[in-house]
Amino acid sequence: MQCLIFRLYGAMASWGSTAIGSVRPTRSAPSRSAVLGLLAAALGIRRDQEEQLARLNRSVAITIKCESEGNLLRDYHTAQVPGTDKKAIWPHRKAELENTHKGVNTILSTRDYRTDGHWLVAITLREDTDCTLEAIRDALDEPVFPLYLGRKSCPLSAPLHPVVSEVESIYEALSEYEYPIAHQAVVEAVLYSQTVGYEWEDGVSIGLSPQETSERWDEPTSRLRWQFDKRLVHSARLERKE
Amino acid sequence: MSRFIQIHTLTSYPPANLNRDDLGRPKTAMMGGVERLRVSSQSLKRHWRTSDLFQEALRGHLGTRTKDIGVRVRQSLVEKGVTAKNAEQWASDIAGVFGKVEKGKVTTQQLVFISPEEWKAIDTLSQTLADKNRQPSDEEKKSLLKKSTAVDIALFGRMLADSSNFNVEAACQVAHAISVHGVTVEDDYFTAVDDLNSEHDDRGAAHIGETGFASAVFYNYVCIDRQSLLDHLDDDEALANKAIAALTEAIATVSPKGKQNSFGSYAYASYMMIEIGNKQPRSLSASFLSPIKSDFLPAAIQALEKQVEHFDSVYGPCAEQRRSFNAVSGEGNLQSVVELATQS
Repeated sequence: MQCLIFRLYGAMASWGSTAIGSVRPTRSAPSRSAVLGLLAAALGIRRDQEEQLARLNRSVAITIKCESEGNLLRDYHTAQVPGTDKKAIWPHRKAELENTHKGVNTILSTRDYRTDGHWLVAITLREDTDCTLEAIRDALDEPVFPLYLGRKSCPLSAPLHPVVSEVESIYEALSEYEYPIAHQAVVEAVLYSQTVGYEWEDGVSIGLSPQETSERWDEPTSRLRWQFDKRLVHSARLERKE
Repeated sequence: MSRFIQIHTLTSYPPANLNRDDLGRPKTAMMGGVERLRVSSQSLKRHWRTSDLFQEALRGHLGTRTKDIGVRVRQSLVEKGVTAKNAEQWASDIAGVFGKVEKGKVTTQQLVFISPEEWKAIDTLSQTLADKNRQPSDEEKKSLLKKSTAVDIALFGRMLADSSNFNVEAACQVAHAISVHGVTVEDDYFTAVDDLNSEHDDRGAAHIGETGFASAVFYNYVCIDRQSLLDHLDDDEALANKAIAALTEAIATVSPKGKQNSFGSYAYASYMMIEIGNKQPRSLSASFLSPIKSDFLPAAIQALEKQVEHFDSVYGPCAEQRRSFNAVSGEGNLQSVVELATQS
């Protein structure tokens, strides 16, 4: 089986889950929609190119290895918004902010991040596909748009280092993938936690038996309307082998 | 052309409270398992965007604010030979696209914001109307609203939930600034004395309070997507370069304003490195995964440069060209760094 593996590491990351109103939580590992978004950005597919996005979505199966979940960071976020003025039609927000007579209001939100998080992603192709892992690898090396970890303010802090190889089991391949990040190797211990988490999708066998199977709403159906479908996710947690 | 421009800076702030959380304390983050001081990406962007330096670069690419669109259109129609009655009606139609028109007049009730492109579209439409001597169609009226090519919107993006066709994807990515060393937030217990209370028996303080503060050397990372910026600015290369230069200078010289009246901690960047290239951009925050322990600035600069070499040697060259200035040793200057950022 051919498999593409790459690394996600950044000082901060945010893997959005169901968010209502002003509370914007993060999961402890990247969602399927987040990884698809990253691949699409690398390939240069825009948010409004629904057909290409759907094709990419159909093509790839995603397995996540959680090297470190990191810590939760809760950010208190404020943004200025103008009061509504029905007498005016504003072509854009700048105009609205500059001309408001009712003063600006503040919206508060709580935005969650993970710090010191570190994840590996394994991509395998499904049968119904017209893309190749080599093409995705090359796009990740020289992406069309800047990439980020769930939020634009969370850049990658290390090369993704995408590697395509022929593997027996995805689990084994993920165990062998280890490349340095910091220039002082000793400090990297913080990026490898005691327990390692795996998440993979229904219909893919990675070489581990699932300890838990759950439903998750992170299968994108429309980026424009921000709609997501339900899917089955298998997961397992193991003690890290020395 | 190199698609990505990455800007790395180290800036040293004396005790300050630049960006506060809901308790009024400086924001923090864990990195490498150690607590660090943090300034959010939103805070940085707002202060750069609203700085005099940035506004200066925007001049001429900002729109005008006026109530008199209709007046101008009416006059131009009359000059082109349209009857006064028709000119009045059509001018009010056109002004109505931008705001509610006052009864019996052609002026809008509110000041409205017109971009240079929109003025051009209005002029073209009035010429067409005069030539064909007819009223504007709904289609034509709608086409007058243009996506603005204001530099700040092109760089920092815009999200309108209600009218998503006016959304602009930011061409610039800004990370939260994080201190290169571990930080303990300290508390300043302060009292304020009533100057006129010498008459009273109670000579105590009129007000007491507490402010959190800390000082830090921040690492900050910005990545500009030059191609997207050009796309947003209709391929206006000169304007894109102006925007990049203004942003780079703002990054080096503009400080967040939080609690500046109490701390006066304005600071310029002590070190800046620009990288241009097409390879996957990456921040260099891993340089400080192990917190710097002493001699903060020189040690941080050394760690950053080591990290660049480390990534290059393990993963191959991450950039095509690099240039930096170092205000600690006095090497390089802002001007030459900006020059690299703005060359295509």
